[in-house]
Amino acid sequence: MKPDTQVSPIVRCRGVTKVYRVGAVDVPALSGIDLDLAPGDFATLAGPSGSGKTTLLNMIGGLDRPTSGTVEIDGQEVTALSSGARAALRLHRIGFVFQAYNLVPVLSALENVALTLQLLGVGPAERAERARVALDEVGIGALADRRPAYLSGGQQQRVAVARALVTRPVIVLADEPTANLDSTNADGLIGLMSDLNRASGTTFLISSHDARVIDRSRRHIEVVDGKVVSDDRR
Amino acid sequence: MLAVMAWRNLWRRPVRTGLSLISMVLTTMLLVFMLSFQLGIYDTMKGNALRLLDGFAQIQPPGYLADPDIRKTIAAPGDLAAAARKVPGVTAAAPRASTYVILSNGELSYGGAVIGVDPTAEVQVSRLQATVHHGRYLAASDSDAIVLGDVLARNLKLSLGDRVTLLGSSADGGIAADSLRIVGLFHTGMAEIDRQVAEMPLARFQESFGLGDAANVIALSGPSLGAVQRAQPALTQLAQSQGLVLRDWAALEPALQQGITLDFATALFWYATLVIVVVFIILNTLLMSVLERTREFGMLLALGMRPMQIGRLVWMELLMLSVMGNGIGAGLGAALAAWLQVRGIVFPGFEGALALWGLPPRLYPTLSWTSALSPPAVMVACIALAGTGVFLRLRRLEPVPAMRAA
Ligand SMILES: Nc1ncnc2c1ncn2[C@@H]1O[C@H](COP(=O)(O)OP(=O)(O)O)[C@@H](O)[C@H]1O
Ligand SMILES: [Mg+2]
Repeated sequence: MKPDTQVSPIVRCRGVTKVYRVGAVDVPALSGIDLDLAPGDFATLAGPSGSGKTTLLNMIGGLDRPTSGTVEIDGQEVTALSSGARAALRLHRIGFVFQAYNLVPVLSALENVALTLQLLGVGPAERAERARVALDEVGIGALADRRPAYLSGGQQQRVAVARALVTRPVIVLADEPTANLDSTNADGLIGLMSDLNRASGTTFLISSHDARVIDRSRRHIEVVDGKVVSDDRR
Repeated sequence: MLAVMAWRNLWRRPVRTGLSLISMVLTTMLLVFMLSFQLGIYDTMKGNALRLLDGFAQIQPPGYLADPDIRKTIAAPGDLAAAARKVPGVTAAAPRASTYVILSNGELSYGGAVIGVDPTAEVQVSRLQATVHHGRYLAASDSDAIVLGDVLARNLKLSLGDRVTLLGSSADGGIAADSLRIVGLFHTGMAEIDRQVAEMPLARFQESFGLGDAANVIALSGPSLGAVQRAQPALTQLAQSQGLVLRDWAALEPALQQGITLDFATALFWYATLVIVVVFIILNTLLMSVLERTREFGMLLALGMRPMQIGRLVWMELLMLSVMGNGIGAGLGAALAAWLQVRGIVFPGFEGALALWGLPPRLYPTLSWTSALSPPAVMVACIALAGTGVFLRLRRLEPVPAMRAA
């Protein structure tokens, strides 16, 4: 749990708390998280349902602001940023893979991947080329023109991974990416992410309670009731 | 890619989009057709009313409209009429003089208006000669001749070939009298004309009523009311150069103008209601389509898309849909109007009712840029404007709650 002092971390969370207000009741989702992720980490985030995994990923990804504490991405304090600046940060520095509803249904696999590049202002020829390469890297280059409805769950998640990586982010945040997949597809997806992590050095933080996923990770973080209860490197 | 997304999003729910499209197509089609039809009827009403006697415009002495006094005159009507005919858009100009007289036959006498006309010029401006059903209209060579409304003749118990006596005051204030042979009886269907109008040769009128060479008005005509309306600036200038004024159709037929305005205002109220209902339906559909995509929008926001961009996407969908629907509708409505503009529409069994309004049994829509383009333009503008509400709502969308939305 000690912060890594050799390399400056990609993610640095200090005393992060999040309290949701539901009606008149305060629901604490995170109660003081200190967490550093080093460049190249391939970490899993486990914990029972409702323990705060999604909330933590949202804080790190700049999707939401903590109630207190600070989050830094690549040396930049996220919590202080306006919502527009956080959107820009997400677009430029962070790749997301969600559990479901990852893709735009009316766009082909290729167009889905190219969409973020377009938001970044990349020209049409270059974004098509880069999207094609990214789809090849996740092993579904042949399905580039299919819309999500004509892809299996595993293939859809691969498209999402390709999209997360195509912008060359500093970190990929994946929130239970295998939750809707059978074990073969789940294995394949994690294997893919692990390979991409090794090849590109991109940091991955993946929430999951799938044992096979956790086995593949090189760092395993456990969250219970909004607190980090263990953090093992292997 | 935003446009591609917008276009494809439209067809995610083909039935719903189709229904929205159909509702817009039908509404715009109806509006374009109705507007063309209505404007066509107004044209017919104006044309019929003005062609009968007034002409499409008149040059008059100032104050003559409010108080048509025989002493308010145009000095050289022949020259002025010739000058007016040279104005582009004007094809005919007829000098007239008129006054109120007592028409009598022995013991019987009735008040009426007698108009002195130049028959050659008059038939190019007024359709009155076509309504002569007994005898004939005035001819250029006539002097001792008069045509009477048939009701007036019946009231006076006069028939073709009889003489009628006119008694009035001359331009110099003295008493004027004449006796003329009836050469024709006309029936216009307009009660006040058939009951109290008579026409006689202008030269004889000038002589009998002491007008010299003067006339009271110049009635103008052209290929269409619109042509004469476009000639109005030039005509106004011409009139002013002689110390006279130009009176347009609305001034000549204020009741008709008011009736049309009132009818149009009523129609506009219904059109507006229809537009509001359709805009509401379209907007409701849009809102539904936005709500069911909340999670998708949340995902796009999470990736770093701006709420503005999502708003633009949705607005584009709305615009595509409404431009398409209203374009097709306007096209169909215009085609229908254009077809019926050639063919005409008959309402079997309603000929009597139409005649009461001075309308012929076969009616023709008039397709114009106004009637073809204003309904779709208003619809698209209203939808685009109302769409900004959805747009503003989207601007407040936050990624986390949006993705958690059920
Ligand atoms: N937007 C929210 N509003 C209210 N409560 C929330 C919200 N998001 C999460 N929570 C609550 O915070 C806690 C942690 O949730 P979450 O981070 O989704 O857990 P996990 O991803 O580990 O299942 C849960 O009790 C959840 O109900
Ligand atoms: Mg979760």
